[in-house]
Parts: sequence; structure tokens; C-alpha cells
Amino acid sequence: MAPVSRRHALKSLSSGFGYLAFASLAHQAAADDVGAATAGTLAPKPTHFPARAKRVIFLCMNGGPSHVDLFDYKPALNSQSGNTTAIGRDRGGAKLLGSPFKFAQHGESGLWMSEVCPQLAKHADKLCVIRSMHTDLPNHSQAFTQMHTGSFQFVRPSVGAWTLYGLGSENENLPGFITLNPPADNGGARNYGSSFLPAICQGTKIGGNQIPAFYAALLGKDEEPGPPLKNIDNTLLSRDQQREQLKLIRDLNVAKLKRDVHHPEIEGAIESFELAFRMQDEVPDVLDLRSETETTRNQYGIGQGLATDRFGRQCLLARRLVEAGVRFVEITAPTSWDHHFQLHEKLPESCAITDQPVAALLADLKQRGMLDDTLVIWAGEFGRTPYGQSQTGRDHNNKGYTLWMAGGGVQGGLAYGATDEYGSEAIEQPVHIHDWHATILHLLGLDHERLTFNYGGRDFRLTDVYGNVVTDILA
Amino acid sequence: MKSSVFAKLLLPNAVFLAALSILVERAPAAEPAEAAEAAGLALFESKIRPMLAQHCYKCHSEKSGTPEGNLLLDSREAARKGGDRGLAIVPGKPEESLLLTAISHADTDLKMPPKKERLPASVIHDVERWIQLGAPDPRDANAVPKSQVDNLEEARKFWALQTPVRRDPPQSRDTSWAKSAIDKFVLAKLESSDLTPSPDAEPTTLLRRLHFDLVGLPPSPEASQIFLNRVENEGFDAALEAEVDSLLASARFGERWGRHWLDVARFAESSGKEANISFPYAWRYRDYVIDCLNNDVPFDRFLTEQLAGDLLPYADDKERARLLIATGFLALGPKNLDEANAFQFLADVIDEQIDTVTRAVMGHSVACARCHDHKFDPYSMEDYYALAGVFASTNTYFGTFVSPANRVSGDPLVLPKQAELPILHQGIPAKRVEALKAELAALQKEEQDGRAAIQRAIEAGEDPSEIFTLTDALRIFWKSGGIEGQLEKVSDEGEPLPLAMGVLDREQMIDVPLLERGEINRPGDPVARRFPRVIELTESNCIPDDQSGRLEFSRWLTHPDHPLTARVMTNRIWHYLLGAGLVRTTDNFGVTGDPASHPELLDHLAIRFVDNDWSIKKFVREIVLTRTYRQASTYNQAAFEIDPDNRLLWRASKRRLDAEAIRDSMLAASGELDVSRPTGSLVGRVIGDRPISLIGLDARIPSDLDGSMHRSVYLPVLRDRLPDVLDLFDFAEPSLVTGARDTTNVPVQALYLMNSPFVQARAKSLAARITNEVEGDQQRMQLAFSLCFSREPDADELQIAREFFGPASTADEELLTSYCQALLSTAEFRNLD
Repeated sequence: MAPVSRRHALKSLSSGFGYLAFASLAHQAAADDVGAATAGTLAPKPTHFPARAKRVIFLCMNGGPSHVDLFDYKPALNSQSGNTTAIGRDRGGAKLLGSPFKFAQHGESGLWMSEVCPQLAKHADKLCVIRSMHTDLPNHSQAFTQMHTGSFQFVRPSVGAWTLYGLGSENENLPGFITLNPPADNGGARNYGSSFLPAICQGTKIGGNQIPAFYAALLGKDEEPGPPLKNIDNTLLSRDQQREQLKLIRDLNVAKLKRDVHHPEIEGAIESFELAFRMQDEVPDVLDLRSETETTRNQYGIGQGLATDRFGRQCLLARRLVEAGVRFVEITAPTSWDHHFQLHEKLPESCAITDQPVAALLADLKQRGMLDDTLVIWAGEFGRTPYGQSQTGRDHNNKGYTLWMAGGGVQGGLAYGATDEYGSEAIEQPVHIHDWHATILHLLGLDHERLTFNYGGRDFRLTDVYGNVVTDILA
Repeated sequence: MKSSVFAKLLLPNAVFLAALSILVERAPAAEPAEAAEAAGLALFESKIRPMLAQHCYKCHSEKSGTPEGNLLLDSREAARKGGDRGLAIVPGKPEESLLLTAISHADTDLKMPPKKERLPASVIHDVERWIQLGAPDPRDANAVPKSQVDNLEEARKFWALQTPVRRDPPQSRDTSWAKSAIDKFVLAKLESSDLTPSPDAEPTTLLRRLHFDLVGLPPSPEASQIFLNRVENEGFDAALEAEVDSLLASARFGERWGRHWLDVARFAESSGKEANISFPYAWRYRDYVIDCLNNDVPFDRFLTEQLAGDLLPYADDKERARLLIATGFLALGPKNLDEANAFQFLADVIDEQIDTVTRAVMGHSVACARCHDHKFDPYSMEDYYALAGVFASTNTYFGTFVSPANRVSGDPLVLPKQAELPILHQGIPAKRVEALKAELAALQKEEQDGRAAIQRAIEAGEDPSEIFTLTDALRIFWKSGGIEGQLEKVSDEGEPLPLAMGVLDREQMIDVPLLERGEINRPGDPVARRFPRVIELTESNCIPDDQSGRLEFSRWLTHPDHPLTARVMTNRIWHYLLGAGLVRTTDNFGVTGDPASHPELLDHLAIRFVDNDWSIKKFVREIVLTRTYRQASTYNQAAFEIDPDNRLLWRASKRRLDAEAIRDSMLAASGELDVSRPTGSLVGRVIGDRPISLIGLDARIPSDLDGSMHRSVYLPVLRDRLPDVLDLFDFAEPSLVTGARDTTNVPVQALYLMNSPFVQARAKSLAARITNEVEGDQQRMQLAFSLCFSREPDADELQIAREFFGPASTADEELLTSYCQALLSTAEFRNLD
């Protein structure tokens, strides 16, 4: 019998329909070798056109960071602070709230940034700042899921899952999509889910078990004792014995799939077991930050009792993961940007936790020559209103806000689009979530209109029937 | 016109007309404008817009150049205007809309898309339905639904706010399939999309499904045999009924279904948020819920007890204790115990209570109206603050004390001693009580003296900073907190007190002022306590001056005419049994939620539920005895193409087991499951009062937070620190009302199954059990299959097993253990057909 590559067999298997024809071959191929070959869905795939970015690090700023206090400088907002405005939704009119922070221009590009991100400001010339973002709803959960999946109404694959589906994985021993510290609310697992895409495309959650800084300092303990990923080691079986066991599990799963014909949950299980088996050898090294130099750790702000410790670890881990070939890494910053109250104190706190690690990540990627083909994204689900709440904070604003990207084929030192004079609404070159998604895929070499998945007779896209690539920001 | 779809539309059958005339008094228009608009918009976004983009825009859009037949379909205005042939879309009149004529190929001269196969029947059906709903089209208009706070008359027309309507089930072509009214509703819908139901599932498959759905455990090999014999002797129906009745009577039912409610009630044994302090008495509420489900306490009574048990009459101390424990529902929400501002803390507790109650019971969150009128649903700030008064007039007892990790303390609720409940904490000697009291008094005096000294220093113009420092104040604050924490648990004699979480009315009732933008420092006028205006029920708004109004609130919620309570609950139960709700967003029945796939069926279910005295067991029984439930889950490509999500229920949904069922089945298969109820939980017994972040440092507490053989419902539920197996397999987030859990499929789950000590230990015991119970390789493999999958292995599977063992046999203990672990790790083990 002609040898059938396992990749080929699994590929046909993943498609579900063509399965029966290949069942016996797959069974044969499966018997040959477990653990060495590349799984079908995750095999690297050709792009639609040359890619500018090969991988993504998405720094997710949960809660809606205030663009008018960070990146979108509005002199009129300051000069008219305290004036009643008609743009507010609440009763009796709202009052404009000037930013309590000083803005200045940075880098050769002269990008405006406020004083609360001094470290990031040093990398101004790397940033592509989109100041004209808008999204459909001013509610956390809907906006958060729309940012991740394009839809707030329906369960759809996340942008990470689409990326992995479109490009495949560069490292067969690691999940292609990893999410660190994702919030349980705001849509929960939907935000890294695969929906109708093959289950292997969904994000693998890593992290947890932190001790609060207060106790870590008090007890002299590490903030993150124990491994960030448990059960990575088998203490009873040798690798050979485990391989035999894994083959048995797969044979039984394949037999079940053969009976069921179409059963994505089982296809996903087959692939995730093989990936898990391969992860055992590689993951412990990748997750071990001790192999980094003291200098590197300091740059990221890692150290007991430091505000930057947790996010610093996560940013460094993100770099290690993409370096090891993980396609899409998302980190949710361990702070809430939902500053309804006391913004003048709370926003600097959130910045103190994130500023240095983010800056270190950009510098580190640059220094390793990885920034050119790594797309770094910094984004929250929306921005905040120019008018105040009790004169100390700001409400949600979906009609105009800012996010930035760096590396991976975007122009550095660019401020794209604009909101009105107060920062309330995107008026120049507005960029909707769908446009932003289309642009991300474009940078990855994927045409958002061609990256489709047929589900129940309809071709679905990340961008539904919308989306225009923002070509002006491409490098 | 030959289309039967049209015929049905134009000529409603006689039965339907008769039913309509009976109902005409209760039912206004069948499809009120607002409701239809919301449903139509959802339909447009999910089906119509993609259809237009995919099949029509190529020739009928601005981008297409000169549009064919001068018809543009890419904006609302143009689509409404029509083209050379006439009107493409006539809202409300599918039969006059050329778009439908064209795509349904009803006119031989006008077949669209041109030179192509007719679009699938489901697409045509969707277009027809959409036009019938008024063809709402958000393009170039603001698509975001608007709140109707200012126009409650309009708001009440939204489908979920209409009183459910009693209807006769529809007729169908196939008259032999349906066994119940439920089946008739399902079948009619299937037929209207040219679908047919799947055949009945195999008895073994159905038995396994039934056992997991009702009790969360696999059928034992013995139970399977008895069932099959019964099917043989008494027939399928009789065997099924007997099985269902025995499962409903089993104490395991309450453990399974109680857990469902605990998901909704965001049950947890710690405060969550930054401080995350344990709630050592929360388990009493867990046991209360399980008992209620086992005793089939009517759902209206069950809700009333949880909202106002403290205000209900009682016969003895035991009943009083039970009713107080029930109110734990209101007390065990997540709390920011590190909040420095006491008033803010209180406002947040009230907000969480409003959010949980309204979301859990009504599928609407009134809490969104805290800072501004609700953005989508018809709840005003006045509605919110009127309800806030009810909870502000209530004292919440949650029983945590001040420690370095948290600044907020709360008293526990003391239960009647005569109720003779188990108490997990120790008493202290009476002398120690006295000593503690003395120490506390001394600390209080020290603080008073310190403050007085500062006052004197200031008056004398001296520097007070060294007299009584912040460090002193904190030391006293924390130390007093710890002492108070010890004293609140014991009587004056030092005997341990039976404690719980719960609520009581305050001495003074409060009408809460409306807080502008929800800010505690911007109080407006007080709002009299009452319930949201959009739902008008008779005799519902009279709250006595000397009561909080929780009892009246529970009466309002459980009023038979309340449009949401029964709908939301029956939809939850449907979700648990059929794999998805008729409304898929089980916790959102608002305008941003999913419209019902079978609105008439949902009405029927809600009415049946209330008619049957809100009995959950009767309702579950009715559903699992339908043919709808009984269907096989077999894949059918043609049906899948029409309805991939199985919204119309053409088969049983394939489902992954939830975390508890996966773990419990492993223990059941290995013969190690201890079905007795443990006293309390690990939190009450071992963890006690302390920050959850520190438990990892305690060697007595297993790192996976498991180490027990009891059912998973009794594992500790700590916010942000769940037992591994629950965390990995998508347990409900315990800070949120959760009607539908996630289902993920990721390699970290595989790692748990491959490498965790828990699964390895189960495999070892399963191997030992098999070795002890039968001799011979084939017999052992058969028993293993029977224990793991409730079925026999087929020839292929026996062959796979033989290959695995090779020259060795099942006598090889290590190999057999590995084999058993493989079975526990297969997809079939954790999936239901």
C-alpha cells in the first residue's frame, strides 16, 4: 500500500465530509507514528499575498482606556473644561472634563502622547496610532466581544482563531493561539473561541494562581508560585508508553468519528491530544523565565513588589511564545481601564502597571529583529467620553477612540484619522472594528474577503459583509 | 402560485382561526410592531444581509455599475423603491414582494439568482419571514435598538414582555410522529423548513443521555440491563417512563439540577475581587438548593424562599433555619471587601443583588439603569432606585471579618440553635471569650485615648504625628477585626453558633435617593420602593411601610401573569435537556438577546409550567418523554446544510458533558464514587476564614483542590481559584449569572486527562475493579466499555484493544491501567450522543 502521510489523512479528516473515504487509510497512517507529524488544520498554509507580519501580540486593555488622556490630544477640551455640553447622554447635560495630564510631542514624528506613558513615548516613532476608531455599542461585554470576534450578537470565531485557521502554526509542539489572563466575563471564552472553525484553532488559556503583591512581599514569596501550566509532565509513563497510550486513544476516537461521520468535538479532541503530547517536551522550557538574563528581566520590570511585575512577566512570556512560533498571543493587562471615577489617580496606576513592560516588549522585539514581522496591537474595547462623571472620571465612548499598532508592516510614527474637537466622535477617516480586522488580516497576508469558512451552506468571514483595509497605514 | 408556503400564509387553516378567535381577548396583534422589528432586525443581520451580499449585490448594487433591471438591493431606500418590474420588498406582504417571487422561482420568467439552482428552502423561508416581520432594514439607519423607557406602551409590545398566549398546537402533515403538544410545535416548524425529525435514538444511547441529563451520572451496567429487559418485555414507552420516574426520585437528581441553579445563582464560597476572602458558611445554601430540587419545591415557592425566606411564617426552628439559609442567595455575591468607602460598598452590594435577581429570574438586567436609563431595555433610573430601596431596607449578612487583606466586615446570620444543624467550627473556652472581650475593650479604649490625645495635642498647638500613628490605628483595626471574627462565631459561653449567610429586614426601611449617574455623592430625590413599571401586574405594588418589600417583590416575580419568569425558567430547563435554549441567550431576554426560535412553543412551555404548579420535576418529565428529546443525534448532511445549528431540532444535539459529570463518571466507572453528602465543604472544614490567595501555601489543601471521592457538586467553589477539573472543563464563572456554560476543546484538557494524578488514580482503580470483577481479556474489555461508555465494544474496538496489549494480556497491571486511562480520555467518554 502506498504510504499516506498523516498530514494528508488528518487534513481530509478535519474536513469531516470526505472522511469515510479516507478512514481506513487514516487508521493505517495513524498506526504508523503518533506525535511526530504535523496536525492537519495547523499545518502552515500559504498566504493570499506576501505577508508583512507573521505573528501577532495583542495587548488587550480591558475596560476602555481613555483616549483623550493618553493619545488623542484635545486642547479645546482643556480650554472649555467645565462647560456644559450637549454631547452627553445624561440628564441635565454633562460637563466637559479637561485632561488632568500634560501632553507633549515625541520622537521625530512628533506624535502627541500624555505624560502617563513616559516609557512608551520613547518608542513613539514605532507606533501607528489610529485615532478614529469606532465600534457599535458602548457596553463592555458587547464591545469586548465585537473587538474579538467582529460580532456582539452571534457566537463567531475570534480574530486569533481566524489567524490560526488562515496561517496554520509555525510550531507543531505549541498551541498556535495562546491567551494569558483573559477575563471570565465580557463574553468569556467566546473572546478566544473558535465557534464553527475547527476546535484546534481556539485559544489556549494559560496563567492563574497569582498571589497578590501585598502578600507576596509580606511572605517573601514569588507572586506566581508554581508553573503557569499544570499537568505538563507524566510521572508514571515513559514517553514510549505514553505514545502507545495516545495511539490507543486516537484509534478509539477515530473509530467513533467514523461512526458519527461529522463530529467537530471529536476531531478537535484528536488534534488537541496530539498537540498536548508534543507540548510536554517544549512547553516547560518556553514558560521558564529563569533562562532570561537579569538585564532582560529588569527591563520588563519583573521583580518582587514591583507594580510592573505581573504584566512584565506576561509580556516577556509573550515574546518567548512568539519566538517559539506561536502565531497569536493575547495578553489581557492585569488592570481595569474602566475609569468612571478618580481618573486622575486610577489612570496613572493602570499606566504604571503596563507602561514599562510594553515599552520593553517593543525594544526587545526590535533588538531581536522580530519587530518587522511581528504585529503588536494595543487596544481596548472602546474609549471614554470627553465629558465627566462627577468631574472625576469618564463614561464609555464607542463613537471615537484610539488604539495603536506597531511593527509588522504598519507605518511607525503615524497618527491616523481624527475625532472631533473634544474627542467625542471619529470624524476623519473613521475606522470601524471590521476595517481594523480587515487590516490585521491584510498585514498577515490574508484577504479578509477570501478567508472564509463554509458553515451550514454559507461562507463566513471575520468581517461578515463589511470591512475595508486601511491602506494608508501600511508601511 | 404553487408554493405551499404561500398557500399556508394566505389561508390560515380553520383550526388556527378558531384558536385565534378564542384568544382574541388576551392576545393583541400576533406580532406587535416593536417585537417584530427586533426579531426582523436580528433575522436581517444573521440571514438576509449575508444572503443579499452573497447572491444579489453582484448585479444589484452601487458597486455593480448599472444595476440589472434598475434594481438596487444594497440600501434600504433603493430596495424599497424597487426596479423596472415593480416593488421588490413590500413590508408585511411577502406575496407582493418580487424579491421572494424571484428567489422562490415561483414565476418562470423571474428566477433569481439567474441560471443557478434555487436557493435552499431555509433561505427562502427566512426572506419570507423577514418580509412578514415588516422587512426591517437597518442599513443607512441607526441599527442599534433603542430603549423605550419613555414609551412603556410601545415597550410592552416587545415579545418577551407580552403575556404568554395559550394556543392549540399546530397541525402537521405527519400525524404519527408527535407524542405531545411540544412535539407538535417542533414538528410544524420542521415541516415549514422542509425538514423531518430524526428517528428515535437507540435504547442504550437514550438511556445514557437520560441518566446524564437527569442525575449527571452514567447508567451502571446493571441498570442498563434492567432497562433493556424492560424495553423487551414492556415496550419502549413504558420502560422509558419507569426509568424517568426512578431517576426523578433519586437523590442524585437534586445534585445534578441543584447545580444548574447554583450556576444561575452565581454560588461561590469566597468573595472574589481583590481581597477574595472565603465564605465558610456558603455551603448551607448549596445543600438547601439540592434539597429543594429533590423535594420538588415549586419554583415560585423556591424563589420566594430565596428572596424573602426570613419574612415567611414557619412552624418550628428547623423550618426557620431552612428559610434563613435560603436567603443566602442574596448574600453570596462577589464583594469588594477592600472597598474603603462603606457607602460605596453598600451601593455595590445592592447593585449586585438587583443585577443577579433580575438577570437570573427575568433574563433582564435592571442594574444597567444604575447610572442612566437602560440603553436598550425599558428600565428607568427610577425603576432601579425604587428597587434599590427594597434591598437597602435589607441587611445582608455575609460573615467575613476585617483582616490585613480586607477592610470590610459583615456579620454572619445566626441560626436557631434548636435546629440542630452541623457546625464546622470549634468553640472556645468561656474564659477565653471573656479574655477576648476584655482585649477588644482595651483596644477600643486605646483607640479612643489615642484620638483624644491627638485632639488635645492639636488644641495645644503641638505636633500630633508621633502620639497616635497610622500604624497604631491599623494595628488596632486589624487586631479588633480578628477578635470580632472569633467572638461572632461563639455564644457568650464559648459554644460554637450555627451560622449562615443570608438577609434580614432592617429596623428602619429606606427609600433610596436617585443617584445622578450612579454616584454616591450626588443624591437626588428619594424614590418610593416599587417594581419596574414596564411590567404591570395587579395587586403587586403595595409594599408595607414596615417591610423591605422583598416578599412583595417575590410575589410580583412569581405572579402567574409575569411575562418573563416562567419563560426564562422553562427556557433554562429546555437548554439543559436539549443542549440549547429556544432563546439561546438564556440570561438575556432583552432586545439585544436572541429571539426565540419557537416563540409559540416557549409560550406553551411557560403556561404549562405555571399550570403544573411550577413543578420542575413534572416539567422535566414532560420534556424527556417527548419524541423531540428522544431523537437520535445522527448526522444528516441535507438537514445540516439547511439548519447547521439545529435550531429547529431535526436531531438531538451532540453535547460535551460538563466538568462535574466528567469527574463524577470517572469515579463511577472506577467504583470509587461516594454518593453520600459530605458535611459542609472543604472551605468550611479546612480552609476556614482566610484569603484564598494564600491557600496554595497550606500543605493540607490539595493543589488541585480535589482529593475527594464525593460528587463534584460538593467540591469547593472559590472565585478565581476553582478546582482544576472544574476550571479546565468550563465550569460556570461563579461571579456571573450563568445559564449556558462555554464548551472549549483545548490541549490543556488533554494534559489533565493524560497527566493529572486524579485521572491516573481513577485509571488504576478502574483497572483493579475490572481485574477483580471478571476473568479473561475479552470479558475485561467488555466490562471496561460497559463502565465507561454504557455499551459493548464492537469488533474493531476489540481489535484495537488487542493490538494495544500485543503479546501481553489484561493481567499486565500497568498496561491495563494505561488502557483504562485511555478509555477515560476518549472523546466518547465525555460526550453525549
